Amino acid sequence: MNDCPNAEMRDLLPDLLHERLDAPIRAAVAAHVGTCEDCRAELALLGGVQRMLTKQTPRVDVAYVVGALPLASKQRASKQPAARVARRRWADWRVAAAVAVLAVGGTSAALMERSNAIVIPGDTVQVPQSNPTPEPVQATPAIVASQPAPAADRLAASRSDTRTPVRTADTEQVATTANDGIGVGRSIGDLNQKQLRALLDDIDNMQAVPITEPEPVSLKVDATRSSSVPEGM
Amino acid sequence: MSDATSARARVGGRSDDDQRDLELIARWKAGDERAATEIVERHAQALARFAVSSGERSEVDELVQDTFVRAFHSLDGFRGESSFRTWLFTIERRLLLDRRRAEKRRRDRTEIQEDDAATAYDALDSVVADETQQRLRAAMERLSPTQREVFSLRVGEGLSYKEIAEAVGTTEGAARVHYHNAMRAVKEFLDE
Repeated sequence: MNDCPNAEMRDLLPDLLHERLDAPIRAAVAAHVGTCEDCRAELALLGGVQRMLTKQTPRVDVAYVVGALPLASKQRASKQPAARVARRRWADWRVAAAVAVLAVGGTSAALMERSNAIVIPGDTVQVPQSNPTPEPVQATPAIVASQPAPAADRLAASRSDTRTPVRTADTEQVATTANDGIGVGRSIGDLNQKQLRALLDDIDNMQAVPITEPEPVSLKVDATRSSSVPEGM
Repeated sequence: MSDATSARARVGGRSDDDQRDLELIARWKAGDERAATEIVERHAQALARFAVSSGERSEVDELVQDTFVRAFHSLDGFRGESSFRTWLFTIERRLLLDRRRAEKRRRDRTEIQEDDAATAYDALDSVVADETQQRLRAAMERLSPTQREVFSLRVGEGLSYKEIAEAVGTTEGAARVHYHNAMRAVKEFLDE
């Protein structure tokens, strides 16, 4: 099979085959092919290749292809607001849940703080968080020493909103001393000269008796020493 | 006719098709799903031919589908500077190259024997009953991959060299050279 010497004509043979030529050019190429045996042979070859390519290609399932295509832009756009609404609803629920948690937690915290801050009239027990002033001076140093701070905390924590004064043996002692002129809950700086002197007199006259019986202790007596130390100390 | 460039400039007949594609794309963008069906009907078979002529033996439907899916996802980026079909060929060719690379990696791992590939070719050849077409097919299989792509696009689809160059990723002149070299090789094979 020989090549036509007219390369330009040969170059247009595929276009002639696919009818892509304008009428004037198509007429000229067709006229050439009519007189050129090589171009007729090549055009026949091209036709055979085209048929072969068509024949060996399976038919495409158009529905299968279309089924996988994305939706048209307009439909996608119309569906996007719906998605946003759904997300907004979900976000609303989350915000509502967060607000509920904060409300419950805040209320609980407020109640706890409120119960800690209750001041009972006539009570000498001070809650450290709610009273920045110095510890009130108790009437008797021995009594003050017998009231550990944790006990006061437990007392304050166990109070309810009834604001009922709670009196213990310790507070009875304080109340007794309060009758001598020291107001309950007042600090020592609030006392005048007379009251302070009366307080000191009471302290001097007070018997140093503990409010509970002491545990029996055994003492080692060492004749060589002037003092003794209880066991375990 | 003395000027080849002017002769090619007067090659027409595709502009109506291009215009129709642009109209269908606009309709689809406006929400007309039937336009998508028509677009697929217009180009699916050409894409399948190109796939088969490029050596794709199986899953041609999947390849064509992947091509359209990728194209429709990227339609906003199609500016109509080339024809829509040429653009589709470009996408399909990239997918084909990806498949070949994946297939090569798979074969490198499994080391498929030559007999297996020959069996697949024989089964497909039995479909092509005509002896002349079998010889044409055999002639095309002897071409280099680039020659085969250019030859099939030029002969099978009637693309211009400019369109082929866009689809294959080469120059218009190189596409012409590939075509004439391919034609010469086919003639020589048939003359043997």
